[in-house]
This record gives sequence, C-alpha cells and structure tokens, in this order.
Amino acid sequence: MEEELRVRLNEHQVSKVFPVKPKSTAKPVSESETPESRYWSSFKPHSVPNLVSSVSALAFSPVHPHSLAVAHSASVSLFSSLSLSSSRRFSFRDVVSSVCFRSDGALFAACDLSGTVQVFDIKERMALRTLRSHTAPVRFVKYPFQDKLHLLSGGDDGVVKYWDVAGSTVVSDLLGHKDYVRCGDCSPVSDSMFITGSYDHTVKVWDARVDKSKCIAEINHGLPVEDVVYLPSGGMIATAGGNSVKVWDLIGGGKMVCSMESHNKTVTSLCVGRMDSAETRLVSVALDGYMKVFDYGRAKVTYSMRFPAPLMSLCLSPDGSTRVIGASNGMVFAGKKKKKLSRDAGEKKSLSLWSVRGQVDETRRRALRPTYFRYFQRGQSEKPSKEDYLVKEKKGLKLTRHDKLLKKFRHKEALVSVLEEKKPANVVAVMEELVARRKLMKCVSNMEESELGMLLGFLQRYCTVQRYSGFLMGLTMKVLETRAEDIKGKNEFKGLLRNLKREVNQEIRIQQSLLEIQGVLAPLMRIAGRS
Amino acid sequence: MIRGGRSYVTSPPSFSNDAKKLLVCTGNTVSVFSAATGLQITSLEGHTAPVTTLIVVPAASSPAQKILCYCWTASLDGTVRHWDFSGPELLKTIDAQLPIYSMVIPSLLSEPQVQIDKRRELSGKLVAYVSVEDTSVVKEGTKELRGHIRRFNLAKPRIPRGDTLKETEEPESIVISPSGEFFGIRHKCKIHIWDVPSGGGSRHAVSRKMTLHHSKFINAFAFHPTERIIAAGDVTGRVLIWRGFGNRKLALGNQKKKVRAMVDLDNAGVRGEDDAESCTTWHWHSAEVNVLNFSSDGAYLYTGGREGVLVVWQLDTGKKKFLPRIGSPLLYFMWSPDPTLSSVVCADNQIHLLKMPSMEILRTISGIKPPPSLPRMYEGLASTVAFDRSSGIAALCTENYCVQLYNLLNDRGISEIQVCERNHQPGDEITVVVTAVALSLDGSVMSTTEVKLPEDGIGGLVSLKFWVSEPHSKTFTLSTIVYEPHRDAGVSAIAFHPTRSMAVSTSFGGDFKIWVCNSDKNQADKDSSWTCHAVGSYKKKPMTAAAFSGDGTVLAVAVENVITLWNPDKNILLSVLGATLTPITKLCFAGTSEFLVAASHFPRPELSVWNASNLSLSWSYGLRIEAVTSAVDSSSFAVLALIPKSFRTDESKENIFRSRDGAILLFNGSDPKPVSIWTVMKAKGGSISFLEGDKSQLRLAYVNGSHEYVVFDPNSDESHERSAVDYDGLAGQEETGDAGYTSLYGQLPDYDKKRMEDAESLATPFVSSERPWETIFSGSTLNFPPLQKLCAEFFESLMEKRTAVVE
Repeated sequence: MEEELRVRLNEHQVSKVFPVKPKSTAKPVSESETPESRYWSSFKPHSVPNLVSSVSALAFSPVHPHSLAVAHSASVSLFSSLSLSSSRRFSFRDVVSSVCFRSDGALFAACDLSGTVQVFDIKERMALRTLRSHTAPVRFVKYPFQDKLHLLSGGDDGVVKYWDVAGSTVVSDLLGHKDYVRCGDCSPVSDSMFITGSYDHTVKVWDARVDKSKCIAEINHGLPVEDVVYLPSGGMIATAGGNSVKVWDLIGGGKMVCSMESHNKTVTSLCVGRMDSAETRLVSVALDGYMKVFDYGRAKVTYSMRFPAPLMSLCLSPDGSTRVIGASNGMVFAGKKKKKLSRDAGEKKSLSLWSVRGQVDETRRRALRPTYFRYFQRGQSEKPSKEDYLVKEKKGLKLTRHDKLLKKFRHKEALVSVLEEKKPANVVAVMEELVARRKLMKCVSNMEESELGMLLGFLQRYCTVQRYSGFLMGLTMKVLETRAEDIKGKNEFKGLLRNLKREVNQEIRIQQSLLEIQGVLAPLMRIAGRS
Repeated sequence: MIRGGRSYVTSPPSFSNDAKKLLVCTGNTVSVFSAATGLQITSLEGHTAPVTTLIVVPAASSPAQKILCYCWTASLDGTVRHWDFSGPELLKTIDAQLPIYSMVIPSLLSEPQVQIDKRRELSGKLVAYVSVEDTSVVKEGTKELRGHIRRFNLAKPRIPRGDTLKETEEPESIVISPSGEFFGIRHKCKIHIWDVPSGGGSRHAVSRKMTLHHSKFINAFAFHPTERIIAAGDVTGRVLIWRGFGNRKLALGNQKKKVRAMVDLDNAGVRGEDDAESCTTWHWHSAEVNVLNFSSDGAYLYTGGREGVLVVWQLDTGKKKFLPRIGSPLLYFMWSPDPTLSSVVCADNQIHLLKMPSMEILRTISGIKPPPSLPRMYEGLASTVAFDRSSGIAALCTENYCVQLYNLLNDRGISEIQVCERNHQPGDEITVVVTAVALSLDGSVMSTTEVKLPEDGIGGLVSLKFWVSEPHSKTFTLSTIVYEPHRDAGVSAIAFHPTRSMAVSTSFGGDFKIWVCNSDKNQADKDSSWTCHAVGSYKKKPMTAAAFSGDGTVLAVAVENVITLWNPDKNILLSVLGATLTPITKLCFAGTSEFLVAASHFPRPELSVWNASNLSLSWSYGLRIEAVTSAVDSSSFAVLALIPKSFRTDESKENIFRSRDGAILLFNGSDPKPVSIWTVMKAKGGSISFLEGDKSQLRLAYVNGSHEYVVFDPNSDESHERSAVDYDGLAGQEETGDAGYTSLYGQLPDYDKKRMEDAESLATPFVSSERPWETIFSGSTLNFPPLQKLCAEFFESLMEKRTAVVE
C-alpha cells in the first residue's frame, strides 16, 4: 500500500494547460451565509392583494390547512394558506384590533375599537356571539390554549375580562393594570394561566382558578408593553416594548434572561417560530421595517430582514411553511417555503403503483433486450454504493475563446475577443498574459481602428478603477504614444479622449485632496502617538 | 556521507530485454530503475569516471532468453565492462587505456545471442567500434584531432591500440543502425557512415565508408531498422531523410551491378556526389532537433528538440502527431521491447515513461532539476534553495516556474509545485522569475516570491505566496497570494519564525512586513490565510535581509549597512547594531547564542559576527559568502565561502584546490578560528544547511551551483561514501507488472502455455496433418484461443509446410 502511494506521488502530470485567470480578490471576512440565514431567507415572497389600511392583527388557524385571518380596518379577511387568496370577509362596526382562532379552528374571535368582542363560525357570515362589557376599545382577545369555552380580552379601560362564551357572560374581571391593556397571551401548558401586558410598563400573570382580580406575578418591562408571548416551554415569556425585546423566566421568579435591543423603533409584534431542526426562535417586527430573528438560547440575533414599510403584525403558520407580516400601509408581506410535500406525494404514488402492478413491472424490467434503446443505457444513472471504488473521469478543462486564441498564439485576436466580452477582470488578465509573452505592445500597434476604439473605450472606463489603475494607466500612456497619428485626426475618438482626460483629471484631484487630508492627519497622529 | 543529485541525462538510458527495468547512466555508476514503479532497484558500481555508454545485450525473441540481463558499459576511465545487472555482478573488465566517449557493438544486434556465444568461443572475437579521446595529443594544442573512431576486439582482456577509422577534433558519439549493419558519426555538416564487414571475424576485413553532406550543422541522426534510410536533424530544426543511401559504395557485391544502372538517374534533393537515392526535408521544429529515432517497425519517426514537443511522423505520408508541453528540451527517446512502453529523456533531469500508442506520460523518474537561469539582475540575490531540516527535503526553484521537493537523504524527487500557473516554453525569453523560496522550520509552510518583468515599463508585478503542506501527500497547496506586498518594490528576503506561524518579508523599497497566519481553531487548515501583522521601516532605507533569533523573540533586519533589532510581536525597534562597510545580504543568528552572522559581498565582501548582547562587532573576515546556516540548538554555524581567484590560481596552491572554488567553514560561536574546513566544487550559487534528522544527528547538506549535493556529518571524519539509496527501504520488490501482450489482454490461461511448450518441443519436424482452419473457428467465441496464438496457428495452417527442415 505504501509502495503504491509512493508511486502515485511520483506521477506528477507534466503536460498542463493553464487558462488565463484574473487575479484573485480578497475574500469577505464574515461568512455571508449560515444555515440559519438560509432557512429564514428561503421564504419565497408571495403576492397578496393590498388591503385598505393598517394590518393590525394576523392569526393562523391551529388546524390544517391553517387558514389565515387578517384584521384590517373594520373587517377580518380569511385567506387560504395554500394559495394565499382571500376566501371570506367579515365586517365590523369599528376598526378590528385583534383576532384569534379557537383550538379546533372552527371558530374565531375578534374585537374592535367599539368595545365589543365577537365570535364567528368561519363558515358563516353572522356572528355567533357578541360579547359586550368593555367600556373602552378592546385591544386583544385570546382563546386559551385548549379550552373551547372561555375567552380572554383586554382593552383601554385597563380591565382584563375572562368570558364564558356560551352564555356571553363575564366570568371574572381581572383588575390591576393602571393603563391601557394592549396585549396578552395564554399559556401553552395550562388553560387557566395567562399573561397580559399594558402601557403601565408591567406584564401581569393571571390564574383564572385563584382569587379574582389578583395577579399572581408581575414583571416590569420598563417601557409600555406592545406585545407579550409565551415561549413554547410555558415557563418563559417574551415581552416587547419600546425598542427592546426581553425574555423572562416566570418559574424562576420573573428574572430577565436576556434582552435584544437591535430594533431602532418600537417593536410591534412578537411570534415564536420553529425551525426545521425543531429549534425555536423569537421573531419580532418593528416600525423601523425590520424583521429580526432572535436566538434566545444564545442571546444573538441570527437573521434580520428589511421591509419597505413600518411593520405592525407578524404571524408564522404552525407548520412553519408560511410567514406573514402586516404593514401599516395595508401591505401584507407573505412568504412561503417551497413544499417538500411533492416528494412525499411522489413516494406515495409510486408506492401505490408498486402495490398494484408490482409484479408486472418486475417482469418487464427483466425483459430488457438489446433491441431496445434503453438496453444500452441501463445502469448509467446508477449511484455508487459506499464500498464501490470510484474511477474518476478526468475533468476536461474548459477553455474560453480568448484562451483558445492564446493557445494558438493569435494574440491580437485574443485581446479583441476578450475586449468584446466586457469583463474588465478578464481583459486585464489577458493583457498581463500578453505582457508576460512580450506581445502587448505589438498587439496594440497592430490594432485596426474599430478595435482601437474598443480598447480606448475600455481604458477610459477602467483606467481609474483602483484595482486596475496601476497597470492600465501605464498602458493608456503607451497606447496614446504609439497610436498618436491614428488617434489624432479621427472624430470618433474625440469623445473618448475627452472623457479619458476628464476621468484622469478627476482622479488627480481626488488624489490631491487625499494627500491634503493625510497632511492634516499626520501631525495629529504623531502627537497622539507621543502622548 | 551521502552524495546525490547526479544527472540522469548524460547519456541515453536503455531498457532491459523484458522492458521491466530501465538502466540509466548516473555519473560513475549505472542505476537500474523499475519501469513499473519508477524507483531505483540497484546500481552497478565500479567505474571510476562517468559512464558514457550503456549497451544492453539484446536477446532473441524466445521468452527463455528474455530474462538475460547482460550489459556492456564504457566509461571515461578507459575501461569497458561487462555486467550481469540482475545480480548485479561484474563479469569482465577490459582496459582500453583511453577515455571512451561512445561505443557500439554491431555483432550484438546482427546475430542472435546464442550464436555469438558460440562464435566467441570459436574465434575469440567480439568487435566493438569506439569513439575515444586520444589523450596523448591533448596537451599539444587544440587543433589536433583528438577524437578517434577505432575498432577494438573485446574478447581480449587488454586492447593495444586498434585500427583508427577516422579522426575528428572532438570525440563524437557513434550511432549504429538497429540491424547492426551500419554505424556512423556526425561531423559538422557531414555524416560519415561505415558498414560492418560481414562475417565479423577476420581482422583484415575493412569497413567501407561513405559520407552524406548537408549545408547546416547536423545535431542528430538515426538509421531505419530495416531499410536503407537515414534521418538527420540539424540546428535549424529541419529533419532530412535520405533514402537508399550507400547503394553504390556500401552495396554488397552481388547487388553492385544492378545498382550501377540507377546511378545516372536524377536523385532528388541529394547534394553533390552523395550516394543516396533521394533526400526529403521536413520542417516543423523551430529550434534544433536533438532527438531522432525510428520506431521498431520503421513506420514512424520520433523527433524532438528544444521546444519540448515530441513529434511522431508517419514515415510514408509525413503526417504528424504531437506530445506537447513536456516543459523542457528533449535529449533522447528510447523505445522498449515492450511495444506499449517507451521513454523520453528531458534536459531537466527527468525521464518520462510513455504509454505508447496514446503517448501519455505514465510516470516520471525524476532526478534533481537543474537551477533556473535567472536574468542578470537577480543573480546572487535570489535564494532558490530552501531546506526542511527535519526531514531532509530540499525545495528547489526550477526552470518552469516550479518548486521541486527533493529528498536529499534518499536521492529522489518527491513532488513538484507549480508556483506560477503559466505554460512554460523552453527557450522562450524569461518574463516571470521565482526569486525566492523559504520553508518554515517544521516544513509545514512554504513561501515563494515571483517577479513578473514588465514589458516597456508596464505590467510588472511582484507577488508573495504562502503555501501549506498537505499532511499526507508531501506537496503544498496555495494558501494566500499577496500581490505587490511592498508596492512595486521587490522582495529581498523571507524568513520564518522558528516556532510560531509568522513570517517576515523585507523589500528594497524600504520596509518590512510581518505576516501572521490567522487560522482559527474551528477552521480547517486550508481556510487559514496569512495577513499582514505589522509594517516597519528604518530611515526609508532599503532592507536587504532578515532573520529571527533562535527563540523567536528578536527579529534582525539588515538595513543596508546597519542591523536593526525588533520585537516582532509589538513591532518595536529594540536597538541598532553598528555599521558594516558594505550593504548586508545575508543574516543569520548563530543558533541560540547571542551572536549574529552578517555577510555582504558588494563591492567589498565581508563576513562579520556581531554580539547582540553588547551590540558590538566580534570579528570579521574579508570573505565572499554564498550561504550561511546555523544549527538550531548549538552555537555553531557554517558558511559557504568562495575562494578568491587570486588565491586559488597561486602556483603553490594549485594542487590543493584543483578545480575547487569554494570552502565550507564551520565556526563555533564567538571563536574566529574555524573548527573545520572543507573545499568544494561549483560553490557559486550553492547553498548549505544543517539537517537535524530523527537520529538527533547533526548533518550538513551542501547543494552546489548545478544542484549536485552532499550530506555529511561535520563532526566526524568519516570519508567512506554511503550511497544515497537505502536499498532496504526502496523498491527492492521485483516488479510483477505485465508487459506487452499480457498487459493488454491479461494473463494467458495455463493450458495455452502448455500447448506452446508442446509446440516448441515439436518445433522442428512438425508437419500439420490436420486442417486446423476448419476447426479453429468453430464453437463459442469465448473458447477461442487468444489472438496471438490463433493467428500464428491459422496462418501456419494456411501455408504448406516443407517437410525437409533446414538444419
């Protein structure tokens, strides 16, 4: 084995062809793509017809096919999640502020600024129940996680109400907030635990089972709270208020775990997103138009994306395939992941096919004969198994046109052909190769007028580009010197020369001003270094 | 002591009869390489001067004789030796008393071996034609005709003088026709051809001579294996083909009359009174033709020359096929008894084995490559050899923008790294120069600089490259390219930090840069890259040399006449060491001691040793220093000094130095008296280095100007020479590769062999009674005997056998 290895080392290939390559440039220091960013950027934008005004709330149905409810101005529109097309529309008396599906997806509740909470069957136009008790605009309504009979709502009167939906009665008024109640969420582990956030900077934790109107815990966010959300474990919550998002540990006595302050304007909505690897991320949107993905485990923003409008609301579908963001100007930015479903479906289909006609297929396969064309292709698309020894085919070198011409020593034609390509890096590479062959000046002096025009055009455009200027400035001088007679009289070159002159003058001016700045800076640096 | 780096290309190599071995003349010895692995098997040692001719005794076609491993060698020491190279064993030595430049033995080719043996027993004669230098007339002047072509009888142990056939100014090499009928020499614009007297025996048989003329100097020529055709190549690249030469002058007696009639015909292209039917010229080569060889069947002609392109001409049509981009001038082309294998020998000390019909390079027997020819401005400034001290590997810059890694301890090329991705055309003007190569102390990182020379002042480029070694294959991959590391100023020196991954490059532009490798721990090795860590300059003067101290805490940079000491991490100037008289070109810390060795050579050479602790000059010599090296963990250091010409040519000392022009001096720390001195040859452009092998044994390697080297222990007095090749560790294994038919179609089944033996045993009075063509092709194709067997049998069966067998 060792012997063999040595032998192979001895076999260095002697005959080689090297294509002309431009100089390599520095690689970016940071990695541009991580698995995380690939996941979040893989939502393909999906067009949704513009809505009239600000999209105040979004909700996905918890059951398949996860239809989407969009609250905008005085109506709620239901969208099918597959095609993202509007299927039904429900009207309200005033602007709708919040919308929520029941756990079975059959009903949804919505509240509006007139102070009413309404419950709809998704298949019927008329409201099933209208709950009236709030004295001020209602800001949020929420079904408990699994409970189908109760509702939670809160509003500008500072009261959180726990409803019995069937009887349209308030079970309990939860008092304690000193300002507008803006948001709330129900625990994913217990049907009687919920949290509400208010403009009095606090988030209160309630339990419907214990003594009424007494919160069991309180958290001070420090800023008016815009949104709260339970993290999937049920023991931690995330709050959004002002520019910051904070994560709190409820079980550990309401300690802050971490905070994220990378938004520049008020964070309006939070949502928990689940990635492929079953890891969860906190996704937030803000009025600055950014969506940020926050890995609260590592306290790090892992992805951020900009949208062209202030963002109001955000929702991710429970299956993770759809991401919807509502903006203040009525736009809905929807993104869908490409379906992996097709493969499953295909598998299913083939399975059924096998089960029905498996026998037939088997015999037909065996009967491939040399008279069939497929006979000669059999096994060609076979994938190698692990223990197979792969004999690698030699990869052919792909030569571009100018490489082929250079190989045939047709230097001028190579230069002209690469000039036609309009890739400056390649042009410079070919020119450098010609310099190495001592043929560049000969090429220049042999060029015909039209080709010379092309060369001058190239020089005019790129001779002041920093990467090439060291080489091209000298060449420009030489070209103008050697072809002075040809260039002088021609009208078509006049414009080119004028532009060239202007470019060079401008570059000189820039250099001079840079030198001046350096002159100003140098004494300062020296003084700074001395002290 | 290990000596190595000998040239493999001084004279043509030769294949053994089974084409499994390749015999190569390497200096005073003949090395036997395995064609299957490209590694050395054994060597024939005995000659005391370079071996010039190597003739493998050809065997008749019968397989039993294919294993015969006899060869004749001739050498400049004036002896002809007969060897059995399977042994290897010296069978016979014949003293010719004159240096032999070339030798042919026609009777080996014309008659089968068995008969020769018989006849030798009978007549006691084996005639050889040799080209010798008559040393008796050498000293009398250059106009004397020193080269003689003589006839010797090798059957006698001592040869008195022999008959002289021709005298020339210089000894010429003799070319013999494959059939052994003719031999000839080229002499300026002429080719002289003799025929070999048939019946080889009688002493008085005189060879007849003829001459062909051409208007240009002829470089090489070859005989056609079967017909009377000669091909010759001249210095301008023309290939001349003479057909039907010697019909008049060399024709056999009974044919003479027939030919006479044809003489009056117009012989196209033949010059003057030359005895040839026609002469055609092919002109493809742009430079001189060095290689000319007919294929064994005579259908093709192989030519090659300085362009490094092997051209195959179809002799009848003149159609060409090429093997381009070999990258070096071709010297010889040899075909082997195996039709699928041949070899081409290049001037850069490489022997390529070719897979024949497709002309792919199968493998390469790679000797140490000769140094590149640098443009004059870089002479003396470039450092083209670097050493990996632990493994004994040298990195050498070579002609075709490559760095060759060569293992000095077992004299073998390891790999080659293309530093600059360009196609090399031998003989072109040099426009890209690899000026320096440096290896880190552990051999894991290599750094090279290359300069692209500008055309008319535009397009010049200096680039610095860092390479990291692949852990398993001993080669390097490119890690970082830095274009214009010091703007447009050239890089004068590169030095590596002894322990960390840090390097420094100095430039004539007046600054030095410290480079560090920013490899993260979680990143793979290949993602690491080198970035500039610090830049320093001293009074804007050109910086000419740099060295790290043994522990890496101090960086010494030579700034023209003074030495500046820096802290490499913080980039702080520590101190400045006084002034030498002339700009310093080489710097080296003497091991772990505080002494710093500086060498300068223009305009006044000087070797000075500085004490870095009290910043003073310890001592200095007025010697021109070619290279400096120091041991890692002791304070000794060695320098390679050129001995001044005036001193060397001094009458009284001429005997001491002879042709040696340099000396290696070993010093110990502050002591100005050298510990030991060795004188060496070709010291100009040479380099030295200490090697610290695994045996913790300190050795000194010296590579001279033409890349021959010696590795020795500086502390012991050993004078016995050990061959570089450690046979046990080598390809001692006899190669089992198949050749010829078997390599194409696989091994024959056993029953065939038996049948063949049967056939042979019956060979003589065999009359085929059956009609095999009726049965031979019936049945399944799978059961057919192999092609070789089948054809012979089939054709045999078609022809009527004579019952009377000639004996």
